[in-house]
Amino acid sequence: MATPDIPITGLVAAGLLLIIPVLIMHKTRLPMMRETIWSFLRMSVQLGLAGIFLTVLFEYNDPLLNALWLCVMITVAAYETIRKQELNIKRLYLPTCAAFACTTVLFLLYFDLLILQDGGLAEARFMIPIGGMLLGNALGGTIIAVSLFYNDLRRNENRYISSLSFGALRKEALMPYFRTALKAALKPSLGNVAVMGIVFLPGLMTGQLIAGLSPMTAIKYQIALMLTIYTSTTVCVTSAILLTSVSSFDEYGMLKKEIFS
Amino acid sequence: MIKPDNQRRYTQRNSTMNEEIIRYDDVSVVFDEKTVIDHFSLTVCRGEKVALRGPSGSGKSTLLRMAHGYARPATGTVSYRTHPIDAETVWKCRQETTYISQDTDIGEGRTRELIEGVFSYAANREVPYETALKEYLALFSLNEETLNKDFRSLSGGEKQRIVIIISLLLGRTVYFLDEVTAALDARMKKQVADYFLSHDDWTVIAISHDDVWYRDSVRIIPVGDA
Repeated sequence: MATPDIPITGLVAAGLLLIIPVLIMHKTRLPMMRETIWSFLRMSVQLGLAGIFLTVLFEYNDPLLNALWLCVMITVAAYETIRKQELNIKRLYLPTCAAFACTTVLFLLYFDLLILQDGGLAEARFMIPIGGMLLGNALGGTIIAVSLFYNDLRRNENRYISSLSFGALRKEALMPYFRTALKAALKPSLGNVAVMGIVFLPGLMTGQLIAGLSPMTAIKYQIALMLTIYTSTTVCVTSAILLTSVSSFDEYGMLKKEIFS
Repeated sequence: MIKPDNQRRYTQRNSTMNEEIIRYDDVSVVFDEKTVIDHFSLTVCRGEKVALRGPSGSGKSTLLRMAHGYARPATGTVSYRTHPIDAETVWKCRQETTYISQDTDIGEGRTRELIEGVFSYAANREVPYETALKEYLALFSLNEETLNKDFRSLSGGEKQRIVIIISLLLGRTVYFLDEVTAALDARMKKQVADYFLSHDDWTVIAISHDDVWYRDSVRIIPVGDA
C-alpha cells in the first residue's frame, strides 16, 4: 500500500488554517500573532532543511555520516539544555554533552542489538529517528531536571546548609534536590505512558501506520521505544547532574556562584 | 539530661579548659565591596559561652557561617581546633559541631521523616535518638503529634524548636547558634538558652537579640558598630 504524498496545494491548505488562530488573536487582542507566524515559518524552514538533509542521508546511508549527524544533534541538544536554564555555558557544556552522548549511544546500541536484534544500527532510517527520539526526550527531561536541581539548590540553600550542619556528606545533602529533579523529569513521560493508545497515538506509531505497517508491529515498536526512552531519560538526568556537579561545587561543597552568572 | 548546678561547678574546673575550639584571626567580612567587619579576632575555648552582639547587617551571621565554611573571610583565617579551615577541616568541623542558621526552612515532608533523614546520614546512623527525641519534645513543650505533621505547616516557633531538637539529638558539644530563639515566646526563649548554657563542657557561640542570652556566665563580644 503506497502512502499518498501531500501535494503542494494541500500544504497551502494546511497553512491557511493559521488564519483562524491569527484572526481570533486579532479580535481578542492577544499579542501572539507575530510569534505564531514567526514560529511556524521557522519550523517550515527548519523542517525543509531537515528534509533535504535526511534525503541525502538516506541516499548515502553511510554509517559515518549518520554518526556525524548524531553528533550534531547531541551538540545542539546539549547547547539548548544549558541555554534554556540560563546557566553558565562554559562550565556545564562539556559534562552535559558527555551525558547526552553517552546515554544516547548506549541506549541506541541497546535498542538495536537487544531489542531489534537485526543489527540495522548503521541504517539511517533507524538511527536518525530513534536516536532523535531518545535525544529529544532525554533533552526535555534533562532541561527540567538540571535547571530545577541548580535553581532549587540556590533558592533553598538553607536546606542544603542545614543538612551539612547535621553531618551529611555532600552527596547525602544533595539527594533531596536530586530526587525532586528526577521526579520532575520523569513525571511528564509517566503521564504520557499511562494514557498512551487511548488519548493519543504517539508520533512513531502514527508514522508507521501511515507507512502501512501492521498495527501490532507498530505497537511493539512503541512499547520498546517508550521503555527505552524512560530509562534513557533517567540515566541521562542522573549522569548530567553527576557530571555537572563535579565542577559546580567548590572544595567546601558550596555551589559556585559563578555558574549562575 | 540537665545536670544539677553543683555538679556543673566541678566539671568547669576540669583540665579541658583552654582547649581551643574556634579561632578568628584578623578576619574581615566584605559585603558588595563594603567592608563591614575588619580585623576581627576571637578565640573560643572549650566550655566557653560567647554571644556576638551587634546591629543587623554587621556581619555576625557571616562570622558564624565561616566556622562551617558556608562563607569565607575576605582576609584573615578561621581555625577549628587550631587547624585553619580548609577542604579537609571544614568537613570535620561540620561533623563534629553544630551550626543552626536563623532560617528554619530545613526541608519538606513530615517532621518525623525529616528527622529520620538526618539520622540516615552515614555519620549519624549509629546515633540512637528515639528516647531522647521524646524527652526533648517534652522539654521544649512540643506535642508528639508534631512529628506527624508536615514540617512546612508548623509555626515558626515549632520549626525552630524542631531544628534545635535535631541538633541536640546529634549529641555534639560545640554549637554555633544564629538567632535560635527569635521565634519563641519569652518562657521558651529562656528554656532554650538555659539548656544550652547549662552544660559546662559545651562550647556555645550565639548570636541573639534576646536578653536571655546575655548573662554573667556569657562572654559578650561586640561586632560592628555596637
